[in-house]
Amino acid sequence: MSAEQAPATSGYAKPLPDMRPEGDGYWAGTKEHKLLLPTAPDGTPFWYPRALSPGTLEPHTWTESKGLGTVYTYSTHFIGPSKAYKGDPPHIVALIDLDEGPRMMTNLVRDEEGYPSLDPDAVKIGMRVKVVFHDVTDEITLPKFAPAE
Amino acid sequence: MGESTPDVREARRMLAKGICIAGVGETEQGIIKDRGSFQLLAEVTKITLDDAGLTLGDVDGMVTAFSFVEQTLMHATTFADYLGMEPGYFASVAVGGATAPLMAIQAAMAIDAGLAEVVLCVRGDNTRSGISSSGMIAMAREMSHGAYEAPYGLTTIGGYGLLAQRYMHEHNVPQEALAAVVATQSEHAALKWNAMLRDVVTVDDVMKDRWIATPFHAMDCSLVSDGAAAFLVTTAERAKDMKQTPVYITGVGEGYSHQYITSAKSVDGVRQGLGRAGRRAMEVAGIGPQDLDVAEIYDSFSFTPLIALEGFGVCGPGEAGDWVLEGNAKLGGKLPMNTHGGLIRQAHLGAMHHIVEAALQLRGQADDTARGGGNHQVPGAKTAISNGSGGILAATSAIVLSNEAPTA
Repeated sequence: MSAEQAPATSGYAKPLPDMRPEGDGYWAGTKEHKLLLPTAPDGTPFWYPRALSPGTLEPHTWTESKGLGTVYTYSTHFIGPSKAYKGDPPHIVALIDLDEGPRMMTNLVRDEEGYPSLDPDAVKIGMRVKVVFHDVTDEITLPKFAPAE
Repeated sequence: MGESTPDVREARRMLAKGICIAGVGETEQGIIKDRGSFQLLAEVTKITLDDAGLTLGDVDGMVTAFSFVEQTLMHATTFADYLGMEPGYFASVAVGGATAPLMAIQAAMAIDAGLAEVVLCVRGDNTRSGISSSGMIAMAREMSHGAYEAPYGLTTIGGYGLLAQRYMHEHNVPQEALAAVVATQSEHAALKWNAMLRDVVTVDDVMKDRWIATPFHAMDCSLVSDGAAAFLVTTAERAKDMKQTPVYITGVGEGYSHQYITSAKSVDGVRQGLGRAGRRAMEVAGIGPQDLDVAEIYDSFSFTPLIALEGFGVCGPGEAGDWVLEGNAKLGGKLPMNTHGGLIRQAHLGAMHHIVEAALQLRGQADDTARGGGNHQVPGAKTAISNGSGGILAATSAIVLSNEAPTA
């Protein structure tokens, strides 16, 4: 098979999420470019998806996030966790405080084709960011965050 | 301190039996290509028994940890088989970097329960030479959540980096403070006979080093090494006919705040969570930070001891960086820290070497001149703290050691 015929996403060699049943609703959402948050019966969204609401062990529902948040912290990675990162420019791993409350991990990227990493010099703790949806394979879409405005 | 539930008197009652470290041992550390994991453990067992003046037949309890190379569900008994012994008590402890103090606590509890009298606590591995590249990748992923963190290319180094950068942001801590931890410990490692890195580096050297994940240069990170270390826990009564002066375990404590770094609520939440281990251990020992003569503080990264010193109450929040920059952590300073070089300069075997070094300090045997090192003895050291943290400062355990028997 020539490179042209191969599906565009077949070469993705970076870590993919471990799939567990309690996360299925979340990944179904990201595939439709929606950021769904598991939400406790009292209306408080939490992170990360678990079968039962942490602390109360009540069942949860899913609510959609507006996808806006603030950078709580970040670390510019010059070396990745596997060989698939070799030769890449540094990638930025960040924790984002979503406006709805939960804190989640992501990469800080530019809102452009292929979502390349944001320039580390352009990152500051406290900066406003918005979600973008990176379809890394046919099955998996990873929410990443880019500067808002 | 308001943390006296369950009652600290129960821990004091246990330790008043005179539970002590009566022997220690360490192999050479570094790149050891010609020896396997169990071989290193066996060698350090022999060294430790010789130190105490015992034979294998005297040991009736076995506490081991885990191996990245020889993966087995039954580590303690697999090693007992290798040694040719039949322990009456056995346990394998696996809480990452928190493991070594927990091994001491496990041994103390086994002795208190009458399950054993002489417990060998031993950990070692050929992590540097024996691990496959897929094993390294699995290790790198170990501390990430497989679904919600790993896909973003998080490394263990970067996970600590996330917390460190927020800490530095909140408290306006300069990069030089991290470098000062490395420089300080490099001076100590230069004196330790088996330290992997014996050269002294300056703050400037560290600042110019290559980045791995901000805020960490390569020199800010702990080593990956081969080697083994052990300590023998028993009672003062049983230690009477052994060779060494006993070093008493006078305090024990544990603390926890999160597992995944995403779940860590705040810098102060982490500081208080891990700090509880040290504060609790000191409360049980009936001492405060001002009573410590030497501190062997877990140092997976240069940042790690800073937040621990604050959590334990040695320094106020955000003040540990300046404290180290002022030279307080050096030999000859207010509270010499990681007098063996630590994970950053000596070797990485969790907190095993921190305990061994603390015991050697309290025995007055931290002069390695005869072995090709130098004198890193803290003169007259009586009281030491040693801790370990597993995960990304997730789970912490601590012990206080003294060369004076506890008074119940």
